[in-house]
Amino acid sequence: MSQVRRTPRNRTLRSRLTVALVLGALTVAVAAVALAQGKNALIGKLEGPEVVTDAAKIPKAFKEAPQLAELVKAGKLPPVAERIGQDPLVIKPLKEIGKYGGTWRAGFTGPADFWNGFRCCSGPDHLMFWDYTGDKVMPNLARGLEMQDGGKTWLLQLRRGMKWSDGKPFTADDFVFWFEDVYRNKDLVPTPSATLAINGKQGVIEKADTYTVRYRFPEAYYMFPDVLAGSTDLAGQMFGYRAMGGFAPAHYMKQFHPKYAGQAEVDKKAKDEKFDSWVRLFLAKNDWARNPDLPVLSAWKTVTPINTPTWTLERNPYSVFVDTAGNQLPYIDKVVLTLAENLEVINLRAIAGEYDYASRHMDLGKLPVFIENQVKGNYKVYLDPGDYGGDMIIKFNLNYDADPEIARWFNTADFRRALSLGVDRDQINETFWLGTGTPGSVVPVDSNKYNPGPQYRKLWSTLDVKKANEMLDKLGLGKKDAQGYRLRADGKGRLRIEIMTLGGQFVQYTQIAEMIREQWKKIGIDLQVQEVERSLALKRTEANEQQLGAWNNDGSEHLFTFPLHVFPFELAAVASSGPLYVKWFHSAGAQGKEPEPRMKELMEKWKKAFGVPEKERIQLGKDIWKIAAEEVYIIGVVGMGPASMGVRVVKNNMGNIPSRQYNSPDGKTPGISRPATFFWKN
Amino acid sequence: MLAYIGRRVLLAIFTVWAISVLSFVIIQLPPGDYVTSYIAQMASSGSVVSEEEAQALRLQYGLGQPIYVQYAKWMRQVLVGNFGMSMEWRRPVTDVIGERLWLTIAVSVAALLLTWVLALPIGIYSAVRQYSAGDYLATFIGFIGLAVPNFLLALVILYLGFILFNAHIGGLFSPEFQDAAWSGARAWDLLKHLPIPALILGLAGTAQQIRIMRANLLDELRKPYVVTARSKGLSEVRVILRYPVRVALNPFASTIGYTLPYIVSGSIIVSLVLGLPTVGPLLLKALIAQDMFLAGTIVLMLGVMTVIGTLVSDILLVWVDPRIRLEET
Repeated sequence: MSQVRRTPRNRTLRSRLTVALVLGALTVAVAAVALAQGKNALIGKLEGPEVVTDAAKIPKAFKEAPQLAELVKAGKLPPVAERIGQDPLVIKPLKEIGKYGGTWRAGFTGPADFWNGFRCCSGPDHLMFWDYTGDKVMPNLARGLEMQDGGKTWLLQLRRGMKWSDGKPFTADDFVFWFEDVYRNKDLVPTPSATLAINGKQGVIEKADTYTVRYRFPEAYYMFPDVLAGSTDLAGQMFGYRAMGGFAPAHYMKQFHPKYAGQAEVDKKAKDEKFDSWVRLFLAKNDWARNPDLPVLSAWKTVTPINTPTWTLERNPYSVFVDTAGNQLPYIDKVVLTLAENLEVINLRAIAGEYDYASRHMDLGKLPVFIENQVKGNYKVYLDPGDYGGDMIIKFNLNYDADPEIARWFNTADFRRALSLGVDRDQINETFWLGTGTPGSVVPVDSNKYNPGPQYRKLWSTLDVKKANEMLDKLGLGKKDAQGYRLRADGKGRLRIEIMTLGGQFVQYTQIAEMIREQWKKIGIDLQVQEVERSLALKRTEANEQQLGAWNNDGSEHLFTFPLHVFPFELAAVASSGPLYVKWFHSAGAQGKEPEPRMKELMEKWKKAFGVPEKERIQLGKDIWKIAAEEVYIIGVVGMGPASMGVRVVKNNMGNIPSRQYNSPDGKTPGISRPATFFWKN
Repeated sequence: MLAYIGRRVLLAIFTVWAISVLSFVIIQLPPGDYVTSYIAQMASSGSVVSEEEAQALRLQYGLGQPIYVQYAKWMRQVLVGNFGMSMEWRRPVTDVIGERLWLTIAVSVAALLLTWVLALPIGIYSAVRQYSAGDYLATFIGFIGLAVPNFLLALVILYLGFILFNAHIGGLFSPEFQDAAWSGARAWDLLKHLPIPALILGLAGTAQQIRIMRANLLDELRKPYVVTARSKGLSEVRVILRYPVRVALNPFASTIGYTLPYIVSGSIIVSLVLGLPTVGPLLLKALIAQDMFLAGTIVLMLGVMTVIGTLVSDILLVWVDPRIRLEET
């Protein structure tokens, strides 16, 4: 029993500490060398492949991988032109036309790491998708999207002759099946998705003809192209495991649906495969990462599923992706993701050169070690800073009510601003980001279309201890105790604030919070750092027990498809600006608590943006960020750094690798760089 | 003897039942459930789970029901050999554990054999040659083995292996054999990967066993029967191996109760650090993800093995040491 009684959590913590110590020693030894090489050498120019839409440049003849040619010769596969169809999705590779063959090795951490495969290998299989800058929506699996009726109706044009990976045609019927029988089935989808609604009113999906899908909404839905491009419920098969996606392979999935196969039959199938119900069976069968039999549209398809020690993906012979010379993509035959029991092992393997391309789970803190082993491991290190303003942010819970004094200060803008002025961001950037981040507020990168202007990066976000102290004094927090900490205005001792952090993340929130605790001593604020386990963190934010919460705001550069770190939008968050505001927002005022005027203004602008043309929307976006920066509901610490999946380790002989890429969940990075065009030079 | 064993078996069944209840309750104790930890995991990878979706998931997994209902449901399945579906792996629990079980046993048996092969002779040597240079050396190494946490040792060995020999980092197979079907070449590949984990896992145990063997044997060596045996003219080897060593073996027999579950769960942390595909890391992950059926099944399995192990070691003790009598019978 001695094994059972051990508390695993402490043990991992201890092992992590040890790993940190060992690697820390290494880091010190080589940090000087690494930093001498400079961050500029590691951060290149943003670049990437492009989708070709000019009909004149679309290749007329196609070529295929040798092993597929063999199959065609043997009569086991139709010719390549037939498999691709009349309207290929043409990608202009970043640098050159590649050649076929080889395997791409990387790691994954288990069945919960399914984003890993979607990001690398799905194509991406969104209907629309971003260009490499992450700003502009381009056609993708769909050939085009046409707005009608002032934004109330959208016509989606599919590619003629395009096929699922089993050779069956991909048509409007797959959309209708999904909408009528999956999305509208209450067992599969208990509550409808917000992405298929405008102003809370649901839209419908119809078949216009075999290759045209019609979306109809009760009100204008100008944001619709962005929704199809982003990582949303309508983004394609990645969300099939929860009955979302916007379409599904009708010819295959019908056999697991009671309407077509009969209730008794699906119940029996579920029982045979040991599922509790047909719903779980259906979802498992519709899972891109888990079911090798599922027909897919992605560049590679799963052949050994994610819940085994090796997640393997192989080229989809019916892939609609081609390069400008007419070569069917992908170039690389196979992607092999091996299970690593923990993040340290993944990092060590990358350092040892055992992965060909890896960015997920790479730890910025180990950057010097990555650089030191570049030659030995035959790889090169690239940094992909994010476009979002905060690799670390601190959210004030504006709804905190357990302590009226704290609640009062959190709802005082000058208090929040003063605390933000008390953070020495440069020190944090040098220590934890090795100088690769950008200190500042929560607003996204200057080039982002919603960025309100360069002055907002610095607004209330520079170190100014003197001003912070003056502001706090003026608020009535002038009295201090013998240790120099400010006293509460209600006379109940020292003003003590808690921050909740999570361990084991891409960013060392706890350690950074400890540094801020030291920095805030200078403005007389006593900060208590509490690292909690993540489930507990969720419970406590939901129960409104959090005071300050540390997290990042990744995805917030796509303000409208990823709003949860801009204002309180999701109840289930590890850091929340106000759980009662979330309820208020989603119940249209029926529940929760009405936000203060400026927050309300921010929320209304966000809502309004979905129904207005792009130009107006951009202005609304800028206004939203202005409010966020002025009110400091969230303190931005350091951002636009490579902390979250931005450290990239790539073999020297892999081709078409961008020197810098747009890094975001919405861009499915590296999906935005079209890994189907990566290839082995020798 | 039979009545004794019968009584122990009955007691063992009750113990196993108690363990199953306890393990189920303990797994439920932390705040939240599988869905909460799933949401948190999604948040860490930049994705979001809506409140509605969370509710739907809870409904599908039956997590909203009272704990005794969930337990009863699980037990009904367990009794017919179905341990349920792992929530995280979305596969039957038996499948998930099954493939790792044999590898775990291979690693642990190798570690165990190594422990005994090293500990017994060294223990005997350092008792017989007490305070000799060799004894001091064994003691020194033994204390280091005891004092250094084995996961730290694992890290150091991994690092050295990488720096000096450019060895494959972690795991039990080379990449090309990871998924290959069993064959001679794959078994050989496994054998090549075994020594390091076995050494690391075995070292702490070895140190401990050396100390125990040495202390016990020292006690025995001073007893009059050893003097008698010597005075009868028996050879030194025979004197020592035949009598005092046999008596000093008792602790080896009595620790089998703990050894059996150890074989399955191994050392969780070492497996994690070395990236071994064994049951240990699986249990840890299942506990963190609050994957109740998977964690419950592993804990239950460990419980059963402990109970069986204890039973075996009780019987072994009686057999090894005739001085232990079954006084109740």
